[in-house]
Amino acid sequence: MGGERSAGAQAHARGCARCGSLVADLDGIHQTAPSLAVADGEPPARVWIALRAQLEQEGLIHDGRRGLTETLRNWLGEIFTVVPRPALAGAYLMALVAVGVALTGPDQRRLNEDLWIHGTQVSTQPLSAQLDSAEQDAISSLTNSNPVVTASLQKNLAIVDNYIALCEKSVLDEPENEVARDYLYDAYQQKADLLAQISERGGDGR
Amino acid sequence: MSTQPTLRSRNHWKAAGLIVPSLLLCSAAPGATPGFPDRTEQHFKVDARPVVTIHNPNGTITVRAWTKQDVMVVAKRATDQVAVDSEQNGNRVEVTTRQVSTTAAPDDLRADLEISVPEDAELQIHNDSGGVNVTNVLGDMNVETIAAGVDIEDAAGYLTVKTVGGSFQCVRCAGRLEVSSISGNFRLIDLRSSYVRAQTSEGNITFNGQFLPSATYILKNYNGVIEVRFSPGDSFDLSATSLKGRVHNEAKLVPSSHHHFLPKVGNALFGSLNSGRARVELNSFDGTINILKRD
Repeated sequence: MGGERSAGAQAHARGCARCGSLVADLDGIHQTAPSLAVADGEPPARVWIALRAQLEQEGLIHDGRRGLTETLRNWLGEIFTVVPRPALAGAYLMALVAVGVALTGPDQRRLNEDLWIHGTQVSTQPLSAQLDSAEQDAISSLTNSNPVVTASLQKNLAIVDNYIALCEKSVLDEPENEVARDYLYDAYQQKADLLAQISERGGDGR
Repeated sequence: MSTQPTLRSRNHWKAAGLIVPSLLLCSAAPGATPGFPDRTEQHFKVDARPVVTIHNPNGTITVRAWTKQDVMVVAKRATDQVAVDSEQNGNRVEVTTRQVSTTAAPDDLRADLEISVPEDAELQIHNDSGGVNVTNVLGDMNVETIAAGVDIEDAAGYLTVKTVGGSFQCVRCAGRLEVSSISGNFRLIDLRSSYVRAQTSEGNITFNGQFLPSATYILKNYNGVIEVRFSPGDSFDLSATSLKGRVHNEAKLVPSSHHHFLPKVGNALFGSLNSGRARVELNSFDGTINILKRD
């Protein structure tokens, strides 16, 4: 709205109520803005004194830190005075982006993967140990069973063990792959079911 | 005339030459028991919806529905080393095979059962080796085997089948179906089920049935082939994922309204055929998934 208005525009603003009102508002803002900018430059000293006194009274700051607070405030004031605000905003944005990239970078990804692997191991290692123990008991009960049944149970136990190994490898290769982890848990479930069947039929598997 | 006795005596010697070795072979066969295999038949009068429990570790089990309101159990034992006990308790009939001798060879413990039941009977079957065949039974069914295969035809109840290495075939089954195995192959033919869940580790799964509206079909394996047949007029929402294997598709799918965020794992395929009224989920670890047009 800076600069001279054309005669036509002035005439229109006088005749049109809406445009006249808008021009009046903009003129008012234009006149008030400079005084606001000056007032916003530095708060009056009494404000700082009152604020500091209140904070000290509440124990939130101490005298010993007064110098540091003052120094910091001056240092920040100098920066804001010297460096243009758009540049500061840009720098702030870049810093945010850098932090974001750092969080999703290779190191963080490896950390996440380690966490996934650790979580999976925590949940599967006790299970694996229990299954190993149950397998020994179940296999020992198979000695007098029907050879066809025994062969089938042993063959299928080997199949499940093979899939557990494949799924474990897949989970290690892609720790965050939930589908692979689900297959691993499924394979453990199958092995548990199979061992239960072997134990049930161990005595009367003929 | 003089040649006739000679010929007759030659024929006698020929007959003796065939019969004697056969008798010797029979008598020398290990485990052969005189009078076996034998055959016993028992009948039990039952009410509507009877429960029939069959436990036969070694041998075939054949169950057929008939129109009579009783249960007939025909047992054929290989030897007297095995006994077949059938008893009724209320509306429940239990048939159990047990070994008499602890030193008998597995072949001597074989018993084949043929059981006729009313068509609304509920069945509970346990069989380790041999085989299970069920025809025209409309009640619920639970079948568990180790190496035995399971064939079911024209069933309509809630079927739960669990095998370790045995195959499973279901032809014209209409009820809810849940089947699991480790190395068994599944063939689900002409199905009219509203819910199918089939999982095998190292087996193939063939599905060639109707896709009913609002029905769910979940087929899963680790390895092997999952084959689903469809007609162009079928309506289903498809999700097919093979983590390490392949997905082949002949269906003209359109993007599904149900999969806004698609998981990026392995080889995956999502989409709808026609209005996507049924839900089809096919999952494999490193097997092949084929979605093929019906011939």
